[in-house]
Amino acid sequence: MKYELVSGFETHIELATKTKIFCGCTTQFGGDPNTHCCPVCIGLPGTLPVLNREVVRFAIKAGLAVHGQIAEIAKMDRKNYCYPDLSKAYQISQLYAPLIIGGYVELSSGKKIRLHHIHIEEDAGKLIHRHGDTYVDYNRGGVPLIEIVSEPDIRSIDEAREYVERLQQVMRYIGISDCKMQEGSMRCDVNISVRPEGSEEFGTRTEIKNMNSITNITKAMEYEYDRQVDLIESGGKVVQETLRYDDVTGTTSSMRSKEDAHDYRYFRDPDLVTINVPREEVEELRAEMPELPADKCRRYIDDCGIPEKDAQLLTKYRRISEYFDEACDGVKSPKTVSNFIIGQMFRRTETESDKEVFDIATTPAQLNELVKLLDSGKIRNNLAKSTLEKMLDTGKGVLEFISESDMGGVDEGALLELCKNAVESNRKAVEDFLSGKEKAIKALVGNVMKNSRGKADAMAAEAKIKELIENS
Amino acid sequence: MGTIAKIHDMLTSKECSCTELTQGYLDAIEKANGELNAYVKVTGEEALATAAAVDKKIAAGEDIGLLEGVPMTLKDNMSTKGIETTCCSKILTGYKPIFDATVWETLKGQNAVLLGKTNMDEFAMGSSCENSCFGGAANPVNTDHVAGGSSGGVASAVGGNIAPYGLGSDTGGSIRQPASFCGVVGLKPTYGAVSRYGLIAYASSLDQIGPITKSVEDASIVFDAIAHSDKRDSTCVGNSGVTTYDKLNNDIKGMKIGIAHEYLDGVRDDVKEAILSAAEVYKSLGAEIVYFDLPILKFALPVYYIIACAEASSNLGRYDGIRYGYKAAHYTGTHDMICRTRSEGFGEEVKRRILLGTYVLSAGYYDAYYKKAQNLRGTIVSAFNKAFEQCDVIMAPTVPMTAFEKGRAVSDPIETYLTDICTVPVNIAGLPGVSVPCGFNQKGMPIGMQLIGKSFDEATILNAAHQYQKAAPEKFTNTKWGVQL
Amino acid sequence: MVTREDVENIALLSKLFVPEEELDGLTQSMQEIIDFADAINNAPAGNEGFDNINNLSNVFREDEVVPSYSNEDILKNAPEQAEDHFLVRNKE
Repeated sequence: MKYELVSGFETHIELATKTKIFCGCTTQFGGDPNTHCCPVCIGLPGTLPVLNREVVRFAIKAGLAVHGQIAEIAKMDRKNYCYPDLSKAYQISQLYAPLIIGGYVELSSGKKIRLHHIHIEEDAGKLIHRHGDTYVDYNRGGVPLIEIVSEPDIRSIDEAREYVERLQQVMRYIGISDCKMQEGSMRCDVNISVRPEGSEEFGTRTEIKNMNSITNITKAMEYEYDRQVDLIESGGKVVQETLRYDDVTGTTSSMRSKEDAHDYRYFRDPDLVTINVPREEVEELRAEMPELPADKCRRYIDDCGIPEKDAQLLTKYRRISEYFDEACDGVKSPKTVSNFIIGQMFRRTETESDKEVFDIATTPAQLNELVKLLDSGKIRNNLAKSTLEKMLDTGKGVLEFISESDMGGVDEGALLELCKNAVESNRKAVEDFLSGKEKAIKALVGNVMKNSRGKADAMAAEAKIKELIENS
Repeated sequence: MGTIAKIHDMLTSKECSCTELTQGYLDAIEKANGELNAYVKVTGEEALATAAAVDKKIAAGEDIGLLEGVPMTLKDNMSTKGIETTCCSKILTGYKPIFDATVWETLKGQNAVLLGKTNMDEFAMGSSCENSCFGGAANPVNTDHVAGGSSGGVASAVGGNIAPYGLGSDTGGSIRQPASFCGVVGLKPTYGAVSRYGLIAYASSLDQIGPITKSVEDASIVFDAIAHSDKRDSTCVGNSGVTTYDKLNNDIKGMKIGIAHEYLDGVRDDVKEAILSAAEVYKSLGAEIVYFDLPILKFALPVYYIIACAEASSNLGRYDGIRYGYKAAHYTGTHDMICRTRSEGFGEEVKRRILLGTYVLSAGYYDAYYKKAQNLRGTIVSAFNKAFEQCDVIMAPTVPMTAFEKGRAVSDPIETYLTDICTVPVNIAGLPGVSVPCGFNQKGMPIGMQLIGKSFDEATILNAAHQYQKAAPEKFTNTKWGVQL
Repeated sequence: MVTREDVENIALLSKLFVPEEELDGLTQSMQEIIDFADAINNAPAGNEGFDNINNLSNVFREDEVVPSYSNEDILKNAPEQAEDHFLVRNKE
C-alpha cells in the first residue's frame, strides 16, 4: 500500500525588535551570560510585564504578509510549565485570543498551505548541560517570538521545504526577523502522520520538536515517515508523542519522561490588558508593507519578461530584488539587468548568506548606467561584460573604463575591412568552415571583435564574414 | 494618638527631632516586639540615616512634606532593595531584592523612615497571620488574640504604636480584616489605583496595596501619596488626579448609604449591632440609609477561592531554588531539587492553595471551575454596579466576628475561609473598601465596619469614614503599647 | 470526586511531593474544598463575561532599550552560581 504524508508546522520566529517583549533589555544575540537581563526577565518576585508595542506591530506585519486576519481583540495567556529555562514557570503566550487568525502561504505550484493562527509569545532562556550539571543563561529569556501554526496541509517533504523557505523569505522581506535557523531565530516543530493514499482520515501524529535547519527537517521527516509506515505495515500503531531528532544518528526518539506531565493550564494573564488594535493602525501598517516576493516575482515575469526561474532567483532575497528594481530604472531591457546580476554578480556572492547581504561594489545606479549604454547601442555586449568585471573589482563607474572614443559602433566600411582582414589572415578557419565545421566561424568573429576592441556588432560581423567566404 | 499629622507638627515645630522620634520608635519596637511579633525585620540603621537627612533639612529651614520623616513599616511582601523580603516564607529565606517596589520607591523619595518589615501570613494566604514562618503577630488589644491576616504585622504594629502607619496588601481582605481586628483603619484601594510593581504576587487580579493607619485622615494622606499610575504595571491607572484629602470634610448630608441584607447574614450579633448603630450615627449626620438585596454575594467566597488559588498556583511556580531563596540541601537531579525545594520551602496552607489552583486550571476542570468563576466575577461586578445606582456607599461589617484566640484559625481551613465572606466581594469587583473601627464586643475586642465605594471613588468612602470618626471618636481607642504621643 | 490519582497528578504538575502517608488525608481535604467550590454550580449562568477589572486595553511600552542589570546583580540571590550562570548541580 502507498502511504501519504500529512504534516503541519509550528514555526517560531524571533522578532527583530530592539528590546524584549516585556522589558527594556536588548534582544541582541549572544553577549556574556546573564548580562541582557533585568528583574522582569529573570522573573524576580513582584515584577510585572509590560508589552512592547513594536512586537504587536511586527506580528501584524507578519499576519498581513501571509494574508491573515488581524484580530479585533487579542489577549495574553499564561502557559504554565516548570523548567529551569523558564524564569516564571509560565510562558506568556496566546491561546484563547491570538493576534492573527487564518492566512496562508502559497507554494510555487499554486497550492496554499493554510495557517491556523499566529500568536506572540516570549522565548525561554538557554540551558547548558555539563557533567550532568545545568548552567542557566536568561539572555534569550523574554525575546519576542511569533509562532506560526499551519493547518496539516503539507503532503510531501518538498512542500515542507518550500513552506519553510517561503516563510523565511517573506518574514525577511518585511524585516521582522533575520530568520537565521542556525542561530535559533527560526525554529520549527513538525507534526507528522501518515495515511493510506486516498484515505480521508488523519493518522495519529507525532511532533518533532525544535528543528533548526531545513536539511534536518527533511531528513527527520523522511525518517519519521518511514518509521510510521514501517510501524503500521508491521501491524503496530503510531503513538501520539513528542520526538526529538538526533542529527548525528539521523533518528527520532521520544522526549517523554515521567517528570513532565503535560497540562499547561492556560489562563488569561491578569498582569496584561487586552490588545485592541485600531483598524487605522492596521491600515497604516499595511501601507508600510514592501512589495511581497510573490507579487514581485509575478511582476518580473509578466511585466519585465524575466523567465520564471530567474525571477525566483531575483526575488529570493529582498536586497537583490531591490537592487534589480533600482538598476532597471528606465532601461529598455530588464532582462539584461537580470542577466548581469544572476551571471556576474552571483559569481561573486556564492553562498546564500552572501546573496542575502548582497554586498556588491557596484551600485545599482552604476549598473543602470552600463545597461543604458548597451541599450543605446553605444557599446556591445562583450565590452559591457568585461567592463562590469572591472567595475565589480573596483567599485568605479562605467566611464572610468570606457572612453567616448570607445563608444559608438563600427561603421559599414570599417566592418568590411575588419572582416576581410580576418578572413585573409585565418585561412585555416575558413577552410574548416567550408568543410562543414560551423563553429570555425566563431574564431573569425572573435578576430573582428578583438581588432575592433569589442565595438563591432558580432552578429553583423558574422553575417559579413559568411558573405565574404561564400562569395570568394 | 501618633498620627501622621501630629508627627508632622512635632517635627516642623521642632518639638522633637526626627532622629529622636525614630529612636523612640526603634526602642519601642525593641520592647514590644517580643510579645507582638509584628516586625520580622527591623531596619534601624537605614531608618536613622533617613532621619538624620530629614533633621538636616529641618535644621536648614527647608519645608518638609507631610510624610517626610514620619516612621512607617511595610508588609514583608513588598520588595525593598537590599533589605531581605521573605513573604514570611521559608522559601524566600535570605532573598534581598535588587529593586524597590514602586510604592516604596515613592515613599522613600519623600523621605519616609522605614522602621522595618512586618509579619504576614505566608504569601498573604491566611486570615490570622499564623501562617507566617516566623509565627503569628499578636493583637495589641489583647495579645491572646490574633492580629488577623494576612497583613497582621502592620495592623499589630500600628495598633501597638510601634509604627505610625504601614502599607499592607489586600487580596481578599488582608488589609481590612486585620485593621478591623486590631481597631485601626485599613484602606483597600480600587484595583489599579496603586501600583503592584514589586508587590510579591499572591493573586494578581485581586492584589492591591493600601495603608493601615490610626485615623481616616492618615489613610487619606498615604493613599493620595501612593495612588499614581506606573509604567511598570500595565493594570495601574492611578487616581486620575482625584485626591481624597481635600474632600474629607465634605458634608455628607443626603449621602445614600446602602446596606445589603446578605452582608448581615450569619454575622455575629455584637458585630451586627455595632454596624446598625453606626448606621444611626450616619442618620444623625444627615445621611440616608437604604436597604437592598445582593443575592449574588453568596457565591463570592467560592469564586474568590477559585480565582485566587488559580492565579497563585501560577504565580508561585517560580520558586524553584534556582534564582533566589531557599534551595533543598539534598536531592538527585533538577526535577527532584525543584520538588524538594518547594515541598520543604512552602507551608501547608500555601501548598494547599497551589494544589487547589492547579486542580481548577487543569484539563477537564478548567471550564467547570475557573471559567465559571470568571463568568460569575462578571456577574458580581454588574450586581455591584446596579447596587450603586441606589446608593453612594455600601456599608457592611468588615468581618462577621472579632479577633479570635490564637490557634483557632489553623484547625479548619474552610471555617477560616468563611471569615473572609464580607471582604472578598470588594476584591472580586475591584472596588475600594475601607475598614473603620465602630465598636467593641463584651471582651473589648474591636469591631470594624466596612465602607465600600464605586470604582476609583476612594474620596467618598474616606469622606464618609472621616465624618464618622469625627462623630464617634470613642470607637477609636489606643493601646498601652509603644510610643504614646 | 477528587481521587488519589487526581491529587498525585496535580502534585506532579505543582512540583510538590506528597508523601504516601499524607495522600489520603490530602485527597479528603481537597474534596472538602472542592465541595465548597462546587457551590458556584448553583449560581445563575451569568452572561456578563469578564475581561479585566477596569476593562483596560492597549497598554504598551515603546521599543527603547533600557540598560540591563549587571551579571553580579542578576546572580546576587542565586543559591548557586558558576561561570556567570545560575547553576543547578545534578546532585547536592
